[in-house]
Amino acid sequence: MRITRKAAGAAAAAVAVALTLTACGGGADPAEPGSAEKVSTDEDITISLAWWGEPARAEMYEKAVDLFEEEHPNITVQTQFQDWDAYWTARATEAAGGALPDVIQMDLSYLRQYGATGQLLDLSGQVGVNLDTEGVDDSLLGSGQIDGAQYGVPTSTNTLALFYNADVLKKIGVEPLAEGYTWDDLNAWMEEVSKAGAGEDPVIYSGADYTGTFWFFLQWLIQQGVDPFTEDGQLNFDEAQMTEWLDKGQELRDAGAFFPIKQAKQLEPLGGFHVNQSASEASWDNFLAGYVAESGEDIQMLPMPSGDNGPQQFWKPSMLLSASAQTEQPEASAALIDFLINEPEVGKIFGTSKGVPAVQAQIDAMNVEKGSVDEQVVQYEEQVADVVTESAPVPVEGFGEIEAEFKRLGEELQYGNVTVDEFVTQWFSFADGAVEQS
Amino acid sequence: MTAVTSGTTTLDAARGTQNASPERGRAKRRREAGAGFAFLSPWLVGFVVLTAFPMVASLYLAFTDYDLFRPPSWVGLENFTKLFEDPRFWTSAKVTAIYVLVGTPIKLAAALLVAMVLNMKHRGQGAYRSIFYAPSLIGASVSIAIVWKAMFIDDGIVDRIQQLFGLPAGGWVGDPSKTMPMFVLLAVWTFGAPMVIFLAGLKQIPAELYEAASVDGAGPVRKFWRITIPMLSPVLFFNLLLETIGAFQVFGSAFIISGGTGGPADSTLFYTLYLYIKGFAQFDMGYASAMAWVLVVVVGVITAILFKTSNAWVHYSGDNR
Repeated sequence: MRITRKAAGAAAAAVAVALTLTACGGGADPAEPGSAEKVSTDEDITISLAWWGEPARAEMYEKAVDLFEEEHPNITVQTQFQDWDAYWTARATEAAGGALPDVIQMDLSYLRQYGATGQLLDLSGQVGVNLDTEGVDDSLLGSGQIDGAQYGVPTSTNTLALFYNADVLKKIGVEPLAEGYTWDDLNAWMEEVSKAGAGEDPVIYSGADYTGTFWFFLQWLIQQGVDPFTEDGQLNFDEAQMTEWLDKGQELRDAGAFFPIKQAKQLEPLGGFHVNQSASEASWDNFLAGYVAESGEDIQMLPMPSGDNGPQQFWKPSMLLSASAQTEQPEASAALIDFLINEPEVGKIFGTSKGVPAVQAQIDAMNVEKGSVDEQVVQYEEQVADVVTESAPVPVEGFGEIEAEFKRLGEELQYGNVTVDEFVTQWFSFADGAVEQS
Repeated sequence: MTAVTSGTTTLDAARGTQNASPERGRAKRRREAGAGFAFLSPWLVGFVVLTAFPMVASLYLAFTDYDLFRPPSWVGLENFTKLFEDPRFWTSAKVTAIYVLVGTPIKLAAALLVAMVLNMKHRGQGAYRSIFYAPSLIGASVSIAIVWKAMFIDDGIVDRIQQLFGLPAGGWVGDPSKTMPMFVLLAVWTFGAPMVIFLAGLKQIPAELYEAASVDGAGPVRKFWRITIPMLSPVLFFNLLLETIGAFQVFGSAFIISGGTGGPADSTLFYTLYLYIKGFAQFDMGYASAMAWVLVVVVGVITAILFKTSNAWVHYSGDNR
């Protein structure tokens, strides 16, 4: 019985290899669940782990890895980290050489790029043996799958939020928006803020130009009842929709109500909101810690603006953990992923800095302090749970590139170097080449 | 082994002393060549593995569609035709051309000027030379690019000086029309290397020429154009070549100051930076390789042109011109 099952697994693997070698991006057959061996407890094993983030995150990871090594004394974990851009450059180069680290932190934007090209291990075989995914919500777990293969396990979730600086609003005498506000309300409010803040020194602006962020455009599309991407990984929106979206910001752009791009470029990697010169900013909810640390003022959160049927937000896995397809230690790699997503102590170490943990035991372990950033994020996610009615769009291959191009053209738009029409034409012509035709 | 050696020895002996000398000389030369290559081998290995092989590989990749994840597939000249239709390619070519055409002459002029000042005899000239050379030692470093950015942002030192003189306020970093002057200034500031070469060249000019010119009533300007420049022309040519080629390849400072994006608004999208973005951020290594080879050809052509024109204006001593 056991042997035949293994043989079947091997046959499936052989077919999978043949498929990946012949068909471009055809995706491997899912591995048989629970087909893996149990991780060894006496053999000396070394695996590598890579993530993106700042030194603060590195400290947290090092602590978590120390705990893991205590539990598995025969396993040594070698760690490395880079910032976001350098991280993906390094991983792409390693992928080209077939030398990815055993366990890598993965983002939804790149999951398809790496998963569909055979770079990642299908973790299904490890589930139930070395990897326990019981605690992860099924739909969330699904966001780490491509064609039935589990290429990544979500560690935590986030969703979009509109942050506002309550202290700044008090200073200029403008009320915050009330929940249930629409995109039009947002525009009117931003205009009011920028008028009230114009006399301040330094000038208070309403916020950054929100139309230049690809994820907000996707959020808006979803509210229009449009799935941004088709099942087979193609774009599912057209030039007219993008034009309508970008036009939303035109009046405010012309009026100079947004935080000026000239100043924003100089503040990078921070923004106007970090330095209390912008009253609001839309972003992912786990960014709260960063805002509070830089600004030092009272930062509050609201759901995103409503479309015709409410905010209709979605959970996005804020990050996933994947294993390399080339790993010689799939069992130990799976055990490390298991530890990072399930171990309560790990939840305590990271707090909400990666988003709210996917597994309840980790949330419980955080024992959030009253008035802390962690409490605010957890409360926000509880509060918006009712309006999270949609599932996150599954990014197409090349998502990272088209997202970056959207941002670049958004900046050109703010500098006044391109018109909305030119933006749309140039973006679609870029996306034509960047999105893999499967 | 022993048999062969002894065999050769007897053969040599049989040929007599007359022939032995050149034969042995040849063997010795061969042995010396072998030793030479052995000593060269670290460089040779480095050259073959790190330079020659990647170049050949990139030449092949330039004709393929290669996204780093899937094996490259042959597409012929497609990368090159795409390149000429890509507006950002032309932007990057323009940015680099402006940098080369404006930055290089200013840098050389600054280097020559400083070299001439330092060539005058005064106390502590060794110290001055070291001080003026220092910026070029650190100019290409990461830290100086970061310092440079800090100097040119809002309320940075440059902004404050502008305000003192009643010039329009505002940092240069976020203003697309001012980023290029900022880069040119950074380049000019690192004039040390050409300056040292100019200085060496200036010392070679015989003092008699200036004395004779003075006797004939030539002023300093006339002496500069009639003696210094012609006598210095080989050195000038050498510096011009090196600096032009170097300017085409500027990358580090551009990468750091714009955070690897070439922004704001593509105003610092240097050719090499766009090449990097294409290859490593947009996973289009075939296209990036094609760009690299276009750069090689362009720099090659420009070098050839400079060599051609040099016949007209470079005077080597001993020439009859």
